[in-house]
Amino acid sequence: MKKFVNDPAQFVPEFMKGIAQANPDLLDYTPEFQMITRKGGPNNSKVSIVQGSGSGHEPAHVMAVGPGMLTGACQGAVFAAPPVDACYETIKACASDAGVLVLVNNYQGDRMAWDMATEMATAEDINVKQFWINDDVAVEDSLYTVGRRGVAGNFFVIKACGAAADQGKSLDEVYAIAEKVNNNVRTMGVALTSCIPPAKGTPIFELGDDEIEVGVGIHGEPGRRREKIHSADKITEELFEAVSKDIPFNSGDRIALMINGLGGTPITELYVMYAKAHDLAEQAGFTVVRNYVGEYCTSLEMAGASLTILRLDAELEALLDAPAETAARIF
Amino acid sequence: MTEISQSQIERAIQTTCKTVLRNELYFSDLDGLAGDGDFGTSLATGYRVIQNDWNDIDKSNIGAMLLKISMLVSKHVGGSSGPIWGTGFMKAAMLSKGKEAVTLQELTDMLGSAIEGIQARGGAKLGDKTLLDALIPVHETLKGHCASANPDLGRALCDCADVAEKAIEETKTLVAHRGRASQVGERSAGTPDPGIVSIAVILNDWCKEFGVERTATAAEVLNQPA
Repeated sequence: MKKFVNDPAQFVPEFMKGIAQANPDLLDYTPEFQMITRKGGPNNSKVSIVQGSGSGHEPAHVMAVGPGMLTGACQGAVFAAPPVDACYETIKACASDAGVLVLVNNYQGDRMAWDMATEMATAEDINVKQFWINDDVAVEDSLYTVGRRGVAGNFFVIKACGAAADQGKSLDEVYAIAEKVNNNVRTMGVALTSCIPPAKGTPIFELGDDEIEVGVGIHGEPGRRREKIHSADKITEELFEAVSKDIPFNSGDRIALMINGLGGTPITELYVMYAKAHDLAEQAGFTVVRNYVGEYCTSLEMAGASLTILRLDAELEALLDAPAETAARIF
Repeated sequence: MTEISQSQIERAIQTTCKTVLRNELYFSDLDGLAGDGDFGTSLATGYRVIQNDWNDIDKSNIGAMLLKISMLVSKHVGGSSGPIWGTGFMKAAMLSKGKEAVTLQELTDMLGSAIEGIQARGGAKLGDKTLLDALIPVHETLKGHCASANPDLGRALCDCADVAEKAIEETKTLVAHRGRASQVGERSAGTPDPGIVSIAVILNDWCKEFGVERTATAAEVLNQPA
């Protein structure tokens, strides 16, 4: 293992400290709960949006905290759900008279932790609702899920809900936005390499030098199949086909198109994929209204990418256009 | 009215810590028969934190104390046992908020709510060969004692320990439908469930702690380390 790591047990608190120090005007950091909250805390006239999950997917979760995005987020260890007390404290720290919406990717460990935290917060008269994100089309059930996994589509749910909350929409209205985005967003990923959680020190799964895992999960969970590597265009076609047929998307749809890097793939390769994906979208009769190329939801240093399509309407387009500011400057 | 004081509940929890730590290897060995052999260690990791942090736990009332214990258990007990046991404590905490003593009826309701929470969290039901197969008959036993004109706490505790012990034998032949042991299917038949054994052992130790005379009969309870 060759990584910038001191004590592997301190990896998460150390990078969180770095994120906080790099963004002193934007974020507050509470080491006890591995929690990052928006500077100034919640606004009682606006719905708060919170999230939390295992580490290793940055910028997802803690780096998506800021005006127009999340109000707060907490982290577990790498690829491990955050503990219940961290989730509970995050809801409490973000409690607003307008309510709190908990957005969590669909994994069993995260769901259990957030379920408990939500019940505890509700018992203290905090108005909380939860929404589970499950945009990954690759497999129906997975290692850590019953049902589909939540992956890069999470970004769009956060962005739209964050903007809606900022505009003063009610908890029920923001929840409806989450539902609308989740119903219209689909993703699938592909891994070229495995990744190494610092505390584990070895790859989480084995992948041959000439092999790719199509439909890989962001914790290295198996996808649809393992193949010999082929051209970027062919891989992009496979992803596009699986994603666009899933809802299905229709000719004439206005879409946001995302090529998300999984952590170890250079931006240039992502643009090679984007070029093909953009062409395929046009051939399918979609209008690409907005595009996103870069890292939104990663898997440590895994080389690979995911392709996400979000079907837009006027409301969602406006919410994506709304201003936002986070530690990850990715808009 | 038959009341259980906060100090009695504190003693029960401290006793539970000792029971779980003493049986760490034993519970893991039982789990190894059909599961992945980590139950004892998972449980002990959490209860060791409760024991070590005991003086710092908020004891302003029963509910506050149980809520803190719920957090510690959820956080430090490994695998799915953490949220499942943690949920039990959380539900009990919610019904004892601000209380410094509870009646037997209230304690019974706390257990009932804990059972509902555990069922909702893990999706198991009676007969799935999980700790619920011990907790549900214990709850029924407590309800019976609540209905009597002058309930006797010692008698109630003794009866609870008896039914939990009976559950070990009654469920041994079942195939696990939930939890880790369910993944080995038929292989789980014929082995005792470590979650059920742990409840029986804890209740037996509570009897000893509170001076309630009873004679354990199940091999699994007799075989635990002294």
